[in-house]
Amino acid sequence: MIRHGILIAAALIFGPLVGGLISGMDRILTARVQSRIGPPLLQPFYDVIKLLGKEKVVVNVWQAFCANAYLTAASIAVVLLCLRSDLLLILFIQAVGSVFLVVGAFSSTSPYSQIGAHRELLQMLCYEPLLILVAVGVYLQTGSFRIAAVHALHQPMLLKLPFLFLVLGLVLTIKLRKSPFDLSTSHHAHQELVKGLLTDYSGPLLALTEIAHWCDTALLLGFCSLFWATNPIGALLLVAVTYLMEIWIDNVCARMNWRWMLGYGWGMGMALSLVNLVWLYAR
Amino acid sequence: MFTMTSTILRNLLKEPATRRYPASVRPSFEAARGEIRNDIHVCTFCGVCAVKCPSQCITVDRKAADWSYDPSACVQCGVCAEVCTSGSLQQARDYRKPVRKKELVVLKGATTPPKHSDPPVTG
Amino acid sequence: MTRTIIPFGPQHPVLPEPIHLMLTLDDEVITEAVPAFGFVHRGLEKLVEIRDFHQMIYVVERICGICSMLHAMCYCQGIEEMMGIETPPRARFLRVIWSELHRMHSHLLWLGLFADSFGFESLFMQFWKIREKILDIDEATTGNRIIVSVNVIGGVRKDLTLEQTRGILSELKSVETELKRLETTILNDYTVQNRTVGKGVLTAKQAYELGLVGPTLRASGVMQDARMLKYAAFDDIAFTPVVETDGDCYARCKVRFREVFQSIDLIRQAIGKLPNGEIAVKVKGRPDGEVTSRVEQPRGEVFYYIRANGTKHLERLRVRTPTFANVPALLTMLPGAGLSDVPVIVLSIDPCISCTER
Repeated sequence: MIRHGILIAAALIFGPLVGGLISGMDRILTARVQSRIGPPLLQPFYDVIKLLGKEKVVVNVWQAFCANAYLTAASIAVVLLCLRSDLLLILFIQAVGSVFLVVGAFSSTSPYSQIGAHRELLQMLCYEPLLILVAVGVYLQTGSFRIAAVHALHQPMLLKLPFLFLVLGLVLTIKLRKSPFDLSTSHHAHQELVKGLLTDYSGPLLALTEIAHWCDTALLLGFCSLFWATNPIGALLLVAVTYLMEIWIDNVCARMNWRWMLGYGWGMGMALSLVNLVWLYAR
Repeated sequence: MFTMTSTILRNLLKEPATRRYPASVRPSFEAARGEIRNDIHVCTFCGVCAVKCPSQCITVDRKAADWSYDPSACVQCGVCAEVCTSGSLQQARDYRKPVRKKELVVLKGATTPPKHSDPPVTG
Repeated sequence: MTRTIIPFGPQHPVLPEPIHLMLTLDDEVITEAVPAFGFVHRGLEKLVEIRDFHQMIYVVERICGICSMLHAMCYCQGIEEMMGIETPPRARFLRVIWSELHRMHSHLLWLGLFADSFGFESLFMQFWKIREKILDIDEATTGNRIIVSVNVIGGVRKDLTLEQTRGILSELKSVETELKRLETTILNDYTVQNRTVGKGVLTAKQAYELGLVGPTLRASGVMQDARMLKYAAFDDIAFTPVVETDGDCYARCKVRFREVFQSIDLIRQAIGKLPNGEIAVKVKGRPDGEVTSRVEQPRGEVFYYIRANGTKHLERLRVRTPTFANVPALLTMLPGAGLSDVPVIVLSIDPCISCTER
């Protein structure tokens, strides 16, 4: 019981912390490949601290509630991942958090917010089925949806599920709002919707969504690490390589529109998943 | 996509093109048009600079031997230094440092005996 | 989704300058676009009443920073024509060199902003990095990065030494290699083509009837360029306008990208043929009469109408800038386009609002 308590506390603290640090490293690396110096490593934390110190302006009660709900759901998902709980449960809780973010954006009247929320829904429509398919692949490989079963494997999952890992990479690109898919909102706001679905979140509430986004990042990268769960160094390497690929994609692609995203995401994602699943099933 | 990959990899391996500005400053070019400086002891208060200045940021009072200049209205075109008859106006290479408050630069010459004994105010 | 009205601008991160577009959307498709201006009007034309005609050079330069050299050049050529001043040949060649450098840095700025409009931030940074080289040339030769202030009535203020022309040529060489490296990305990349090809198409007939100018017109297949009027030293320099025929955002991008290389070529020609001699003649008297003057700015043809009455103040100065002519194209291109294409289409005319409003 005490072990669980420590694990939960660690997940609550280190989840967002790791997410924020990764985001800081991302900003420095992105700056370097664009031949800029870039911000300090802790810049994301400075940003969030500054946002937390600002005056709280509540557009409407629903939005404030949704921001809190998003953060809660995102942290619960990270805690469950650390407790090696059920994969499907984690994915659904994560999805619930995202839905709350969208509902919060829909509850304001700004057209930017509305259209951003609409696009975020389309993004979820694109990546949620793919995430479930990846979970199904894990099930076929281990015979259970529990993460503990993955840790019991003697051989890295990546060797059996290479295509599904690519699908997970695709989902990660959408979730991290990287370049071909920064449709609903973007980090730098140089986009037709400016800040899109985050338009009406401001001050401390925006800080909450940012922390929740760190949790989401940590969760998905944790999910990636499961593909090499047999060896911590291997897991770390896999995550690092995955993230470097994300930065690479972000810097060699233009932003696409949501029609292309749905077509490409479903077409490519489903095809890769099916090939992998059929291969697993036939074996 | 692949040519862009080689471009970003080259950027990663090379020095960044930006610099940490207040800490490292690039030296100005020789021809750079920076701050306007007036050597008030040479100035004859002819007032040509004040007439020619396109932004009318220079005022000259010949009687009081006052030359004043509004740096925040100056457009750094360099016309005043070009037309200066006595050669007292010079355009420096470096830009003026940022300031918190808009201030006039008032220079007092000594060609006529000063009416009051204030020390010359410099910007 | 029901009909939505989006206030696009005047303050919008995608837009370099304040223009307000009221977009009526049906789902994510635009049904109507209504532009509004007037956010950066400064009344510069009215200043002719209190600034004399020499001082006005520095005022017209500040109509717009990005084309400042060409504004001043157009104004000076107008006044020179009115007063019957023959500028020395060296001054005319120097004007070509600086004006083409200006076109280069303006187009590089635009290429960066255009890349940013379809979300390609790293490409944006690349173009602006290259642009710095041109700005450095400007600063080293004239003293300022953008508002170069080299034109005076009767010639130019600064001269180029032999060493400086050599420096320009070697810098242009490295600019050329770096740009060649980006050519495949901006013109052939799959994601870039996906965002630009077939967006905001204007046929040659449409473009001509809307009265468009500059690269926006030339991308639709109409060969029209004010440099064909052979002002400054263009009668001694071989010049053929860059023309594309597709009339979409991709074609407009291609025209501007090719024009950067064309400018490099023009500068090389001008430096090669640079005659020796005076750089300015002394101006006596005051202008009287009326005159119109035209030059090709990066965004298209700019038109000056100047009327003087023999005093040191002009009577009327009227500037018709290229963006003023190009904005009607937006109203034709935007309806029917998707919301995500709005920044791409708006930027494809290279809007310069401070020019338009003066």
